[in-house]
Amino acid sequence: MTTLLWLQTGSCGGDTMSILCADSPSVEELVDQYGIEFLWQPSLSAEPKKHLDTVLDAILEDRLALDILCVEGSIMTGPNGSGMYDPYRGRSKMSLIRQLAEKAGYLVAMGTCAAYGGVHAAPPNPTDCLGLQFDKQAPGGLLPVDWRSRRGLPVVNISGCPAHPNAMTKTLAMLAAGLPLELDHLNRPKAFFNTMVHQGCTRTEYHEYDVEDELFGGKGCMFFNLGCKGPVTMAICNSELWNGRGSKTRAGVPCFGCTSPDFPSDHDLFRTEKIGPIPVNLPLGVERANYMAYKSLAHEAAPERVLNKTMDP
Amino acid sequence: MSRRTIQIEMNRVEGDLDFQLEMEDNIVVDARCIGTLYRGFEQIMLGRKPTDALVITPRICGICGTAQLNAAVLALEHAGRIAVPPNAVRIRNLCLMAETVQSDLRQSFLFFTADFCHPKYLSRPFYDKALAAFQPFKGSVHRGALENSRHIVEIVALFGGQWPHSSYMLPGGVTTPANSRHIIDSLSILNKLTRWFEQTVIGTDLDVWLDLQSAEQFFAWLTEKPAHDESATGLLTQISREIGLQYLGFGTPHMLSYGAYDDPRYAGTFTQHKQRLFKAGFLNGETGIVEAFDQAKITEHVRYAWFQPYPGGLHPFQGQTVPDYQPHSDRYTWCKAPRYQDKVVQTGPLADALIDGEPLIRSLYQAEGGNAWLRQFARLRRTAKLLRTMRDTLHELSADLDEPHMLPPATKDIPDGEGFGLVTAARGGLGHWLQIADGAISRYQVVTPTAWNASPKDSAGRHGHWESSLIGMRVDDPDDPVEIGHIIRSHDPCLVCTVHILDSGKRLTLWP
Repeated sequence: MTTLLWLQTGSCGGDTMSILCADSPSVEELVDQYGIEFLWQPSLSAEPKKHLDTVLDAILEDRLALDILCVEGSIMTGPNGSGMYDPYRGRSKMSLIRQLAEKAGYLVAMGTCAAYGGVHAAPPNPTDCLGLQFDKQAPGGLLPVDWRSRRGLPVVNISGCPAHPNAMTKTLAMLAAGLPLELDHLNRPKAFFNTMVHQGCTRTEYHEYDVEDELFGGKGCMFFNLGCKGPVTMAICNSELWNGRGSKTRAGVPCFGCTSPDFPSDHDLFRTEKIGPIPVNLPLGVERANYMAYKSLAHEAAPERVLNKTMDP
Repeated sequence: MSRRTIQIEMNRVEGDLDFQLEMEDNIVVDARCIGTLYRGFEQIMLGRKPTDALVITPRICGICGTAQLNAAVLALEHAGRIAVPPNAVRIRNLCLMAETVQSDLRQSFLFFTADFCHPKYLSRPFYDKALAAFQPFKGSVHRGALENSRHIVEIVALFGGQWPHSSYMLPGGVTTPANSRHIIDSLSILNKLTRWFEQTVIGTDLDVWLDLQSAEQFFAWLTEKPAHDESATGLLTQISREIGLQYLGFGTPHMLSYGAYDDPRYAGTFTQHKQRLFKAGFLNGETGIVEAFDQAKITEHVRYAWFQPYPGGLHPFQGQTVPDYQPHSDRYTWCKAPRYQDKVVQTGPLADALIDGEPLIRSLYQAEGGNAWLRQFARLRRTAKLLRTMRDTLHELSADLDEPHMLPPATKDIPDGEGFGLVTAARGGLGHWLQIADGAISRYQVVTPTAWNASPKDSAGRHGHWESSLIGMRVDDPDDPVEIGHIIRSHDPCLVCTVHILDSGKRLTLWP
């Protein structure tokens, strides 16, 4: 039996909606097959909210073990550091999460808001919000850099806006089953964050041969002009499809880099920032000079079917 | 006579919702609807590129992001006078319908019916049936709703890449065409859901169900076969009526609908008030007449909200959203009070059905009024209609596969000016009003369905719809008022959308 408590802070509920869409494993499977007991989940618990008080008291008084604490949403610290933009029963959720974190076997940030601050932290960040252990890219958030949960891990960041349904359920299944969880430099589980959005995108051939779309609604690559961050973003969107069916880039929507700490970018989200004809942000790890050389060669080598954009993504 | 204030926090709503109720003996004499979260979206929008609204505003709400996206793209198209091709309208409609079906199934069978498993009903004859159907993770209907609400949004993933939160509706159309693979996949998803809906939710064929035209026909149908009254809808109806929900939760008699789903036949030219498949209108509760809807008659009041005060109400194009947090005053909310023709209105599936003239809902309304059971029933009735409309939409798309899905706008940028986008989300009328100056957003006002329903008092001291639907109610156990849960959940609250409310932690009592 693994106890799990899920709290929403400054959130839209999208990560809850997303996890309800998970199918491998599903939320029901977490309960049936992995022995996860939802002590509280805002959309699933049948008990009245008073029950949550009972559960919280029991955890804080060490009468109930909390194996996994999931937080969905930004941590609101405003106004003036009080945290009262997001209160619970007359106190701030910020202070409640801080207390609960000390009791949790693992603390999991469900989505970019809880991990790094997310959309609510976009300028001017009206609520002074941040993530659980990061403030955008800066290490240290509500909890300090060296904080570790009872089971010895920093906050596990399953970033994404929303987080990928199966990345959430698989992580919970791994924790419940006692499987090791290796994290990357942003404390994201490597199992889901060691893959580019670009990998598996059905438009990659257009990218390879530098066949660029300049308008939306086409078949080509959106990296060069239309703001796509697929080649610089870590996520499984194109290797484990969303809702079992698709991904943004497959549907002709640019990747907005929503798993990254700096999401959403301040820059026009549907335009690629460029220096001359070359994007400012090149595919991860690529040298600018090499890229310029490669790009012109690639375009020369492009077959007609790609140049004429006859291939369906 | 004893007077006390009770505070109720609610779960199984989208977001955080509290109520403060003033009780005299066991009767609610005053109510204050309090959500508890401020996120500041209007401020985040200022100064950004207009099209950024297509990425930022879906994040207002995890359950109705498609509706937010649709409202945002309509507002941008209005500002730029941009037309879209018929197939783009069809694809947008299809995705919005899929999201609405998802939301209605989850609201009905994850959020609403779970209350029937409350220990208060332990001794009732229906209790075992309620557990068998509606108990979280154990009940057959609960599990079926989890499974099937998951599948229907696969249609959004086919056209938009993912659900929740994608940005596939752009000025001029949608990002991906309907090809034959998408059509067949969508039909498979739809057929599978329709089968479950017929077997489990209504216990009959969709056609038979949609043919029911009157209250008499419906109640006769209910008792005609075991499959009918044992269906999820049958069970929800019986239990609701056994505990008296047909006598509760009326609220304001005035209703508003923006109309749902643009008619693709009128897609070729830009029009300000769209022709829609389900009609827009204002049902005047005093006269019973459905009047033409005009967005210019919408205002928002802030008398009881923590925003810099202004007298009376302002239209969203003049809207001011300057935070002014005053916890120790008679103001109690971050939520403005929207009014139409200066009247308190409700919005949602019941209002939509009555204004569109749906015969069965209209007949039940004439028989018993707009009660909590009917509000919930209207939502499930809508699901059946949408399953049918989605199928028709897919057939229309498949007849026109070569038509464009995107007409790129003449200019790259949306010109300076203003525009609004109005859609019907799962919970009712959703509007975005935006103004653009020097190429950037200079004002962005969102009025959500829950803002209408959860509104606080206005400048004239008139209670919002939910508040008024609770006043006068009898509560058996003020420490665990499950009745309040039924009434409020029948409105399908989505507080993440709306609420800019702070809980001061102090209980305010509005009389000496």
